[in-house]
Amino acid sequence: MIFVELILQGLIQGSIYALIAVGLTLVYGLLRILHIAHAALFTLGAYLGLLITNATGSLALGFLVAMVVVGIAGIAIYRFCYHDVLDQPPHVALIASVGLFIAMEEGFRLIWGPTSISFTEPPWQAAVVLGGIQVKTADLVTIPLAIVLIGGLAAIVAFTRIGLAWRATVTDPAMAGSFGIDALKVRYLNFFLGSALAAAAGVMFAILANFVEPTMGGVPSYKALAIIVLGGLGNVRGTLIAALMLGVIESFGTIYLGWAMDRDAIAFAFLILVLMVRPQGLFARS
Amino acid sequence: MIKGKLLLTAAFAVLFAATVSAAETVKIGMNLPQTGIGAADGKSVLTAAQIAVDEINADGGINGKSVELVVYDDQTSPKFSVPVATKLIEKDQVPIGISGSYSGATRAAAGVFQAAGVPYISAYAVHPDITRAGDLVFRTSFVGEVLGRAGAHLVGKQLGKKRAVVTVMKNDYGKSLARGFKEVAAKFGIEIVNEYEYSLKDRQFGPIVSKVKADNPDVIYDTGYWFVAAPLVSQLRGGGVNAPVVGQEGYDGQKFIEIAGAASDGVMITTSLDRDSTVPKIKAFMSEFEKRAGYKADMVGASAHVAVNVAVAALRKAGSMDAKAIQAALQQTNYEGVTGKIRFNEIGEAYKVVQVQVVRDGGWHHHSVITDTELLTPPLN
Repeated sequence: MIFVELILQGLIQGSIYALIAVGLTLVYGLLRILHIAHAALFTLGAYLGLLITNATGSLALGFLVAMVVVGIAGIAIYRFCYHDVLDQPPHVALIASVGLFIAMEEGFRLIWGPTSISFTEPPWQAAVVLGGIQVKTADLVTIPLAIVLIGGLAAIVAFTRIGLAWRATVTDPAMAGSFGIDALKVRYLNFFLGSALAAAAGVMFAILANFVEPTMGGVPSYKALAIIVLGGLGNVRGTLIAALMLGVIESFGTIYLGWAMDRDAIAFAFLILVLMVRPQGLFARS
Repeated sequence: MIKGKLLLTAAFAVLFAATVSAAETVKIGMNLPQTGIGAADGKSVLTAAQIAVDEINADGGINGKSVELVVYDDQTSPKFSVPVATKLIEKDQVPIGISGSYSGATRAAAGVFQAAGVPYISAYAVHPDITRAGDLVFRTSFVGEVLGRAGAHLVGKQLGKKRAVVTVMKNDYGKSLARGFKEVAAKFGIEIVNEYEYSLKDRQFGPIVSKVKADNPDVIYDTGYWFVAAPLVSQLRGGGVNAPVVGQEGYDGQKFIEIAGAASDGVMITTSLDRDSTVPKIKAFMSEFEKRAGYKADMVGASAHVAVNVAVAALRKAGSMDAKAIQAALQQTNYEGVTGKIRFNEIGEAYKVVQVQVVRDGGWHHHSVITDTELLTPPLN
């Protein structure tokens, strides 16, 4: 039973990781930028979701506003932070991104204060018993939410015209451009969707912990990097599998390796181990 | 040329005025967190310390001179507390320093104060090494070991719970408490079924909750700070673990209850401040604190209030800014403040009783007091 529970808890955590890491890997796939500031969008999503829910009493509205606003913030980050440095070496965008991440964290602290905030009425707290395992409703919601959101993303990519344009641009930007595909539009869409997913992860995290603080993006910022490297940079399917795997490994590691290393260290021990055997990541594209 | 001379004279006049006004006040240096994870506690500390200073100044200050707090942010990090300590000593030339911060930051700063020959008081940081920095370092609150022992007393003797799971926050604070708890657990007939460690940054405890459920303990003893413990307690209850949770000072404050919500009901802690006290001095402090801070008084605030008062009492008694005189005066402290009566042992550790508080109706309330002399006597090494 404990075995099943630990897997379940790992998948819950892995779903949050997946929602964060997908946006990161999409940006890398399209622009070859390590978008560190993505984790600050996760925090922004958590703040907006919590504040809107507290103000209106509607969690659905909290999710919606957080996802839309953060999506737009993602576009703004592309336009004002990355767009003009695309022709520079990759470390230029990386440094810009790290700087932006720090600035955003400090911004949250200035706007919403250094202390944490919580839901006045935390949603989805009721206990649910599922095959003898008791969890909170919020735990139970996390996995389907991630499936629906990431499934929605996959559907857009697979079945819409803009999705086709996106795939074409990722595969061969120059060729796609010569066919009249507007690269800028594709990039905006990319940042919008990836950021919106990070916002959803932020709101979900806020519900699970009933806790939002300016520095909450710190751990996801580097863990998501480990995940996309594991998944093979730019590979969405690989990222999803790596996120879930890491969730489960951490879940068991917390219990059975807790004496030796932190949960956050486990991710990197695993990353080092994998890179020693497969330097291209677990699921690298050819 | 004349203009230049005038400017120079004006500059000297300003400098001179500054020196004169500085001479009229006695500076007390403080390092406390104003940003980062401990910012909320830092706010309580500063509010309470300022209350203490205002009371002291209304009462004539220190032998006619008024007291002034010099405060810097250490972000609860040794990385910042060391330069802050240096700044307080070198630039502000404070005759005494107070830590309103956590164990890691305090431990590092204590060494700097000791080396510079300036007395230093830890208001609520618990790590044993803090006072071991030397004879100039004092602690007006519990050393971690004592607090951990008090936890075992509460669990084994008062509550009669024998099968315990211990969840340990992996830092100076959490580990020293766990050490104290385990040291005397057997004496109170407590069997430690399992022990789990987590980091200060953890907010998701699903795996630990699952495993604790399988362990099925009578009680959970946890050594985390409120911002880690509140999600932990809430997730334990959500996961169906109904065994009582016993925490400690790190939980003390309204934020814990705000985050954990209904799950906080019945949680007990060993701490320093009795919310239901009828002592006029304590009641007056709590109402003044709530008026200024906008939320209820907490352990860190009360401890800061005590530390400032102990420092001032020593400065008054010493009658000079000489470190040796201040140290000797501190050593003879016999002060009754908002966290009870305090005396120091040879190595500057406080002896005082432990308050047990329990969450009821969305607030901390009196449960009992632990007065076992043997248990509460701080270690001498």
